[in-house]
Amino acid sequence: MTTITATPVLTPPPTITRVWNIVKLHLVNRQTYLGIPWIITGGAWAVSMAIALIIRSVASPDDVAKATEGMTNSWAVLSPLWYLCAVGVLAIAQSFPFALGFGVTRRDFYLGTSLMFLLSSVGNALLLSTLVEIERATNGWGIGGVMFDALFFQGQTWIANVFVFSVIQLAIFFIGACIATIYMRWRAMGMLIFWLVLALVLVGAVALITLTYSWPAVGGWFAAQGVVGGFAWGLIPVAVAAVTGFFILRRATPRN
Amino acid sequence: MSTVIEATGLTKNFGTFTAVDDVSFTIEENRIYGLLGRNGAGKTTIMQLLTGQDFASSGTVTVYGESPVENARVLSNVSFIKESQKYPDNVKAKHVLAAAPTFFGNWNAELADELLAAFRVPLDRDMKKLSRGQVSAVGVIVGLASRAPITFFDEPYLGLDAVARQLFYDKLLEDYAEHPRTVILSTHLIDEVSDLLEHVILIDEGRILIDTDADELRGSATTVVGRSADVATFVEGREVIHRDGIGGLSSVTVTGQLSSADRAAAVAANLELAPVSLQQLIVRLSSLETTSEGSKS
Repeated sequence: MTTITATPVLTPPPTITRVWNIVKLHLVNRQTYLGIPWIITGGAWAVSMAIALIIRSVASPDDVAKATEGMTNSWAVLSPLWYLCAVGVLAIAQSFPFALGFGVTRRDFYLGTSLMFLLSSVGNALLLSTLVEIERATNGWGIGGVMFDALFFQGQTWIANVFVFSVIQLAIFFIGACIATIYMRWRAMGMLIFWLVLALVLVGAVALITLTYSWPAVGGWFAAQGVVGGFAWGLIPVAVAAVTGFFILRRATPRN
Repeated sequence: MSTVIEATGLTKNFGTFTAVDDVSFTIEENRIYGLLGRNGAGKTTIMQLLTGQDFASSGTVTVYGESPVENARVLSNVSFIKESQKYPDNVKAKHVLAAAPTFFGNWNAELADELLAAFRVPLDRDMKKLSRGQVSAVGVIVGLASRAPITFFDEPYLGLDAVARQLFYDKLLEDYAEHPRTVILSTHLIDEVSDLLEHVILIDEGRILIDTDADELRGSATTVVGRSADVATFVEGREVIHRDGIGGLSSVTVTGQLSSADRAAAVAANLELAPVSLQQLIVRLSSLETTSEGSKS
């Protein structure tokens, strides 16, 4: 039988456009990346400021200073992270099957999703670091409240904070997404094996450090890296998760 | 006719289970195909293989002469609406319809709006809160308005009421007439779509039972009704695919075209000849396969 092969009717847009289309797909509901993280941050800020006001209205100046000091240990500044971790997981678990239904390739989907993660992480980092500066400049929003200038962001420059915030969010996104790709490819069995292996590796590492009495050395190494240096090392697991996720997803199939 | 899709020796195993077993067929451009078969016959798996969503264990699929897997040149021409399509939790119908035009080069917004009104889809409600039928309607709207050169519908009607299903068939035919494209429709509701289909591929247990022109299939079997003795005489030497009988009357379905001499003989013997609907024919042929499989083992 001789057959003539039909020619494609439509020509796909160039790769860059296809990748950007995935960013647009993730932003089709703007709440996910733009709205909700800042609603959470705003809520955490309102609560932090309310606490600061309550303390100031009853405590002695001495105690207020102590309380302000204590607020620098609050994790309120990182409150949207837990939500963003879910966003990273769902970007694969839910948006991947959705995108494939639109005739998207896995490669384009992953590259576009990675670009979305990068834009969201850096964008949020720029704003959060600026809020750190504003908080410093206004002496705690005029009421001595502390939320952004806390934890390891204290005493760091604006650009250092942009870097650290970016790394933390990228880690949350890419590690969450990478674990979701394992599920997408190997389902429950993949999850079981992954968590088991991870637990064994962690226990093994703890055992190794403990048995060789190396905890002081490990602590000393981290202290020597400094905040920026320590987070710079964090880019290695982020890169590993990002690359691993890509190769796992290339052969994954959304199941019913 | 030019071939858009060609499957050769296509096989898909899930562990020890063979979902698609050494299947070969071609799909011609700008025709409507019915991919029919029972639950678990392998229809969805075949569609997933044709759209690069799943990976073949062995054999090949080519679409426009190329593998569809991770192939944007192919996939930008494909729309695949499946019954089991998942939508993200944070997505409303309006988001699905806002996102779709980006991915379908032939998207027609007017048609989408018209279908939205016809199917009465609530735009501003989360997809996960829509009824089964409303979710299906969103899929149908995307599938039709995308006007993709190759459109797959995998049981797209789930939960749709009879009115909405008829609307889908009517709109599909109407739009297909104006904008011809290749349509592959998998369904259980064979009678409902039988007028739509130009070609039928019947799958059972991962293998192809029938791959033929729908018109040819429609005339390929006849039910003979009458007195048992007369019927028995008439069907002698023909391939019988079904027998029924009450008292002295029997109803026997035979395959093969009947000649005018056959028809005259039937009238003379007081026999009634009835055409067999596509659905009946497929039920008969599928169950025939099942029983002969059973007797072999």
